[in-house]
Amino acid sequence: MNYIPVNEQDRKEMLDRIGVKSIEELLALQIPESLRAKKLNLPEGLSEQELSALFKNYAGKNKSNLVCFRGAGVYDHFVPSLVDEITGRSEFSTAYTPYQAEASQGTLQAIFEYQSMICELTGLDCANASMYDGATAVAEAVLLAVRTSRKNKIIISSGVNPEYLSVVETYTKNLDVEIIKIKIDEKTGALDKNVLQSMLSDDIGAVVVQSPNFFGVVEDMLSLSETAKNKNALFVTIVNPASLGILKTPCEYNADIAAGEGQVFGNRMHLGGSTFGFLAVKKALEWKIPGRVVGQTVDKNGKRGFVLTLQSREQHIRREKATSNICTNAALNAFAGCVYMACLGSSGIKELAETNISKARYAFNAIKKLEGFEPLFANSLFFNEFVFKTVKNVKKIEKALLKENILGPLNLGAFDKKYKNCLMFAVTEKRTKQEIDKLTDILNRA
Amino acid sequence: MNKLINEIRSNRNTDRVIKCDVPLDIEMDVRYKGQKSTNIPNLSENTLLRHFTNLSRRNYALSTTFYPLGSCTMKYNPVVNEKIAAFEEFSSVHPYQSEETVQGSLEIMYELEKSLCEVSGMDNFTLQPAAGAHGEYAGLLIIAGYFKSIKEKRTKIIVPDSAHGTNPASAALAGFEIISLKSDENGIVSPENLKAVLTKDVACMMMTVPNTLGVFEKNIAEISEILHQNGSLLYYDGANLNAVMGIVKPADIGFDVMHINLHKTFATPHGGGGPGAGPVGVKAFLKDFLPVPVIVKENNKFKISFGDKKKSIGKMKAFFGNFPVLLKACAYIKALGGAGLKEASEQAVLNANYVLSSLKDKVSIPAGSVCMHEFVLSSKGHLGDGVKTLDVAKKLLDYGYYAPTIYFPLIVEEAMMIEPTETESKQVLDEFTDVLLKIIEESVSNPEILHNAPVNTYVSRLNEVEAARKPKLHW
Repeated sequence: MNYIPVNEQDRKEMLDRIGVKSIEELLALQIPESLRAKKLNLPEGLSEQELSALFKNYAGKNKSNLVCFRGAGVYDHFVPSLVDEITGRSEFSTAYTPYQAEASQGTLQAIFEYQSMICELTGLDCANASMYDGATAVAEAVLLAVRTSRKNKIIISSGVNPEYLSVVETYTKNLDVEIIKIKIDEKTGALDKNVLQSMLSDDIGAVVVQSPNFFGVVEDMLSLSETAKNKNALFVTIVNPASLGILKTPCEYNADIAAGEGQVFGNRMHLGGSTFGFLAVKKALEWKIPGRVVGQTVDKNGKRGFVLTLQSREQHIRREKATSNICTNAALNAFAGCVYMACLGSSGIKELAETNISKARYAFNAIKKLEGFEPLFANSLFFNEFVFKTVKNVKKIEKALLKENILGPLNLGAFDKKYKNCLMFAVTEKRTKQEIDKLTDILNRA
Repeated sequence: MNKLINEIRSNRNTDRVIKCDVPLDIEMDVRYKGQKSTNIPNLSENTLLRHFTNLSRRNYALSTTFYPLGSCTMKYNPVVNEKIAAFEEFSSVHPYQSEETVQGSLEIMYELEKSLCEVSGMDNFTLQPAAGAHGEYAGLLIIAGYFKSIKEKRTKIIVPDSAHGTNPASAALAGFEIISLKSDENGIVSPENLKAVLTKDVACMMMTVPNTLGVFEKNIAEISEILHQNGSLLYYDGANLNAVMGIVKPADIGFDVMHINLHKTFATPHGGGGPGAGPVGVKAFLKDFLPVPVIVKENNKFKISFGDKKKSIGKMKAFFGNFPVLLKACAYIKALGGAGLKEASEQAVLNANYVLSSLKDKVSIPAGSVCMHEFVLSSKGHLGDGVKTLDVAKKLLDYGYYAPTIYFPLIVEEAMMIEPTETESKQVLDEFTDVLLKIIEESVSNPEILHNAPVNTYVSRLNEVEAARKPKLHW
C-alpha cells in the first residue's frame, strides 16, 4: 500500500511543467552520485488486510486485559467512552501545533480548558500545555527550580518514583546542578521533617517531594513545605491527580511548582506511553515555565479567542536561551485528560478519590489478615497503593495470579534488594470487591 | 455562543464513577485531608459531546484541508494504523508486566528498530525519546558521554543559522556552548566557513539534510571529513528525512548520530502538538551510550535489556517510549515496504518541485529553482504596500488552507516554507498555487482585504500582543 494520489498521467504533466524527464533527474541535479543509497532491504509492502492480520498476530502474543493490581506510576483506571470519541476525532488528532491561531481555535480552547482544570485541581495559577510524561515533567520542574532560585543544589526525596529519579539524573548530568537525595524513614515510608531540616541550608534551591510517594505513602506535605520555606527553598511537589479529590492540594501546602503523571486521567496504560506530564506553577513563575502555554485574548472584533502565548520563552524565538528545548509535547494525551476531568466534574473527581481509597483500604485490611503478609509501613496513610512484606514465594504468587488472569503486585525486590519479598499493590476504582476477594483468596492459598 | 466549560451550568447528578461496592472508608487526619473544592461543572455526556464536537469544528486539520506546513511533513495519517493502535491487546498492558507477557509489543519495537536502521544506515536505535527535540537532547547527551569516556574535553557545538530552534536549545540543555554558523549565499554550509569556526573543543556539528531551505547539502562529504579529522562528530536532525528515504542514508554520508521524527516522516498523527516520537540512531561505536532499556532478541524471544549501565546516558523518559506512536510508524513501514518508502520520498520531491515551478516567477526563491521535499520563498518585494507574509498566510486560511510555515527559517526575510508532501494530488497542488498567486495579486490590487484576513475563520485576527502583555492563562 502507498498513500500517493498521483497517477502516471499526472506525474508526466508535473515533470513536464518542471522541465525534467524524471524524478531521478531532479535528484541527480542535487545529490552527488557517490552519496546515493543502495536499494532498501525491507520486505514488500502490505495491503490493509494483510497489515491488520500481521498486527493481530503481534497482538495475540501479548497477555492482555489482565485484572490489574499493579501500579508504580502507571495505573489501570476506567476510561469513559466519551474520551475516545472526542480524542479520536481527526479534527483534533491530525492537526499540528496550533501555530495559526485563527484556524486552530478547537485545539487552543481545549488546551486552555485543560490548563484551567489543572489549575483548579492543584490550586496553582499557571499550567503549561503538557510535558512528555510525569518523569520529564519532574525533570523540567527541577530545572525550573534551579532557574528560579538561582541556586544549583536541589534536595529530592528518595521516595520519588525511581523512573523519575533516573530521568532527573539524565537531565542534570551535564549541567551545573547538584542533586541531593534525602532518604525516607524506614519505619514510616515517609520523609522525616527533622532530617530535611538538618539537610537544609541557604544554598539549597528547592526541595522536591512526591506524595503519595513511590511506595504509596502520603507525606505530611504541610510540615515539609513549611520546613523548606523556612530556609527559603522552593517547594516542588509531585502529585497523583487522582488523589487530589481527597488529599490536600499543592496550593493548600503552599507549593511553588507541582508536576506529575497524567496517565491516570483518561489515558490507557499502553506499556507506559504515550501519556502526558503536567506542570503547574505559582503566578510569580509563569514567565519561567517551560513549554507551550495558551492564553486568552480577543480578535479584531472583540470576540474571545485563544493563542499560544509567552512565546518569548520558547526555543523557536530564544534558541539556546529558551527555558526548555521542548517543542512537540503530549497535546492529545493532555486533551484526553481534559475530557476525562470534564466527564467527571468536581463531584466525580471527589468520588473517584474516595472510591480508590476505600477499595484500597478494603484490600489492605483483607491482606493484612492473611498469614505470612505484614504491611511494610503499618501506620502510614496511603491512597491507592501499599506494600506488604511476605514470607511466601513471590514468584509462585505471581504465577498463581497470572494463571487466573490477574496481574499481581509489583515485586519491589527486583528493583532493590533492600525490598526483597516486598510486594506493592495498587487498587483503583476499577477493581471490584469480587476481584479483590479473589486476589486475597489466591494470596492465601499460594 | 462560544462557552468555556466552566460557563456551562452543572446539569447532572453525581453518577460518573463506578458505585463503590465496598464500605466507604475515607477518614483521615486533618493534616492530610484536602479542604478546597474544585470548580469543574458536572455535565451530562450529551452536553460534553456537543461542547467538544463544536470545538473540533474550529480546527483546520490534515483530515479537513491541505496543510503545507513546511518542516512538519503533514502527510496523510493512515486510519488503519489508528485502529490497530487501539487494539486492547496493546492498550491494556502495564509497563511492568513480565517480558513473556508482552512479546507482541516488544516484537513491534524490535521490528521498528531494525527498519529504522535499514532506512538510516545506523547500527542501533533507542525508541525512548518522545519527540524530535527530545531525541536531539538524547543524541547530544550520547555525544557528551562518548567524549567523556575517551577523556576529551569538548564543550562546543556548531549549529548552522538555518537550523531549527530546537537544535541550539537542546545543545544548551546538554551543557554545550553554541557556535552559530552562517550559511553561504546558496543557503548551505560551506567547508570554508566551517573551517573558520572549527576548533579542537568542538564536539559535533548538527545538520539538517536537506536543510530547512529544502536544499541538499552537496558538500556534506567534505564537511564530514573536515569534522572527523578534527575528532568531532556529525549529528543528523531527521526532521527532513522524508526527502531522502531510499535515496540517501545518513550514516553512509558521514553522520554518527541522528534522530527521526516518527510523527513527520512515518505518518503518525501530530495530535495538535503531540504525542510524537524521536528515536535516536547511532553508529556501532556509540551503542553503549544509548538510553536504557533496549529490546534485544535472544533465541527467538524478545528481552528487555539494561545492557552496560555504566556507559548509558540513563533514561530519557519513563519506560520504553510512546508505544502507540512507535506501533503506527512500524505499521506505516510495513504497509509501504522498501520500494514504497522510496516512492514516497520521490513523490514528495516531485510535488515540492511542481509547486515551486508554478510559483518561481512570481516570488523570490532564495535557494534556487530546484528543491528537495520543501522550499522557502520570500515574498519581500512582491506584495502590495504594507502587506506582509503574515497577511498572506492569514488570507490562505480564508480560502480554507492551513498556512505554510512563516516564522522560520530566520535567515530568509518574509519567508514562507512550503512542504506539500507526497500524499497530495496534482489537483490539490494546482488549486493551492492558483489561490496563492491570486492572493499575491490581491495584495497589490486590494491590500486591505489581506490586512483584514482572515474573515472566514471562527475568530478574526487575534491580538497576540495583548495576550502576552496581560496573560490570562486559565478561566
